[in-house]
Order: sequence, then C-alpha cells, then structure tokens
Amino acid sequence: MHNAQLNRKGGTVNVIQSAMHSVGQHEVLMETSPYGIEKKKLGMWVFIVSDACTFGAFLFAYGYMRVGNPVWGTPFDFASVLNGVVMTAVLLSSSLTMLAAVRASQAGAKLSTKKWLGVTMLLGTIFAALHLKEWFSLIGEGWRLFHNPTGGAAQFGATFFSVTGLHLTHVVSGVIALAFITRGYKQGRYDASHVETAGLYWHFVDLVWMFVFPLMYLMNAH
Amino acid sequence: MSANRELSMSSYVGIGVGLMVIVGVEVVLTYQHLATRTLLFSLLSLACLEAFVAVMYLMHVKYERPILFWTIFPATLFVLILLCYLWPDAFRMASMRLLQ
Repeated sequence: MHNAQLNRKGGTVNVIQSAMHSVGQHEVLMETSPYGIEKKKLGMWVFIVSDACTFGAFLFAYGYMRVGNPVWGTPFDFASVLNGVVMTAVLLSSSLTMLAAVRASQAGAKLSTKKWLGVTMLLGTIFAALHLKEWFSLIGEGWRLFHNPTGGAAQFGATFFSVTGLHLTHVVSGVIALAFITRGYKQGRYDASHVETAGLYWHFVDLVWMFVFPLMYLMNAH
Repeated sequence: MSANRELSMSSYVGIGVGLMVIVGVEVVLTYQHLATRTLLFSLLSLACLEAFVAVMYLMHVKYERPILFWTIFPATLFVLILLCYLWPDAFRMASMRLLQ
C-alpha cells in the first residue's frame, strides 16, 4: 500500500491510503474498501447473508406448518433434548476454539493455530456424530421424510430432516474447509486472514444452530 | 478488525457460558407447558438475543467499521421480518375446524 499524489487540473490531490497494485508493466490505482476488510472476508459476509435468508426461509416454512398443525409430532423425550443441549455445548465450544485459532494465527503462532484448528475440527466431527445418532434414533422409531409413525402430521420428518440436514451439511463442509485451511496454513499458502474468514463461516454455523435447536428440538419435545 | 480493542479470551469464554445459560432457560421454558404461540415467541426471542451476541462478539462485528453493520444487517433483517407475514395465517390454520 502506498500514498500517491495525483496532479489534477493544476492542483495536487493527496490520495491517502490508496492501493497501488502492479499488474505486469502497468500500475493500477485502487481505492481501499470502505468496509476496511479484505475482499475474501466481505465475500464471506455476502455468502452469510444469502445463507441466513436460505435458513430463514426453511425455518419460517417449518414454523408455519408447526404452528398451523394441531396434530404435529413431538418425538423428542428428555434424553433427546439433553443430547441437543450437549450438541449445543460442543458447537459453542468449537466457536471458542475457532476464536483461539484466529487469535493464534494473528499472533503468528503456527503450532498453536494448527492445534486450535484441529480441536475445532474434532468438536465439529463430534457434533456431526451426535447429530447422526439422533437421526438414526428417529429413523429406528419409524420417522421418515413423509411418514409419521404416530399417525399425526407427516410433515415433521420432511421439515426436521431437511433443516437439520442442511445444517449438518454446513458443519461437515466447515470441517472439510478447515482441514484445507489447516493444510494450506501449515504449508504457508494461507495466512491469518484465511483462518479468520473460515472462522467467520464457523461462527455462522454456530449461530444457525441457536435457531435450529429451540425450533426443531424444543418445540417438538414431549 | 481492531484487534487491540478486542475482548480477552476469558471474556469470550464468559460469553460462551452466558449463551449456554440462555440455552438452559430455553429448555426450562419448554417444560412449562406454555401455549404453542407463547413458547414459539419466547424461544425465538431468546434465539435472537443469542444470535445478536454471537454476531457482535464472536463474529467481531462490534469491532468492524459501522458501515459493515449498516450495509448488511438492516437488509437481512428486513427480509426475515417480511417472512413474519406468514404467522397470522399459521395461527388461523391452527384454529380452523372442518365444516359440518
């Protein structure tokens, strides 16, 4: 980043904090982002906004059917709710370990960054395993996408498996992305900004669960 | 991000514990046998509170330039609030009865 002076109509204009990027033999003068963040981080924010709208649409569709249906299935006993609380604690802990990884990467502590990213991936994997345990338990009881074994509204399976499945896909994708980030960071291809951008995604996955757990589990507990 | 203004790691752990306490309150509310509408409103309110804390502190929006917040959140919230038009119809469906 350089400070540059431009002569314009006989006057001198100081362009402060402008970025001069060399492209081959040419120099391109670019303004810095008004957001003060890197483009990859801004891109992640745009993705998060679009994903928030996607999850919002799914959850509102579910809420519409849940509230409007007097014979909705409530398959979750206290053990399932407890399992959900443990899943929440695991995901929330993974957000904290992700924060630790981001801090370590910003401090240039490579070993510590790799350690915290590893712990985050482990917690994400535990979350996915607990989630699949809950799924198999429901499937074992006869719940399917379009079948309610208790004879009530059939939409419970469709909404539960689609919303939690979409979230689970995000968690698994996040773990895979973190594995790539860790590998790249280890090899020196990625830096702290990549870790921070991945962290943003991971916190978003945690944020979505804060809506999925009360709406999908607690609203359907007996 | 202004790293020098950020919270310490122990403060973040405190925020995590606070979020878990809210989850605990949600579980307690679930077993109070509230009406569906009341339970939904209570759980959604608490979830929004959790989300606000997560966005501001865990996702560091509090420490970014305000323009980021004002560019992203009003538009997103507007979209999500528009979806709330669905609720009255859902409550209407819940009270519908078959005609004799």
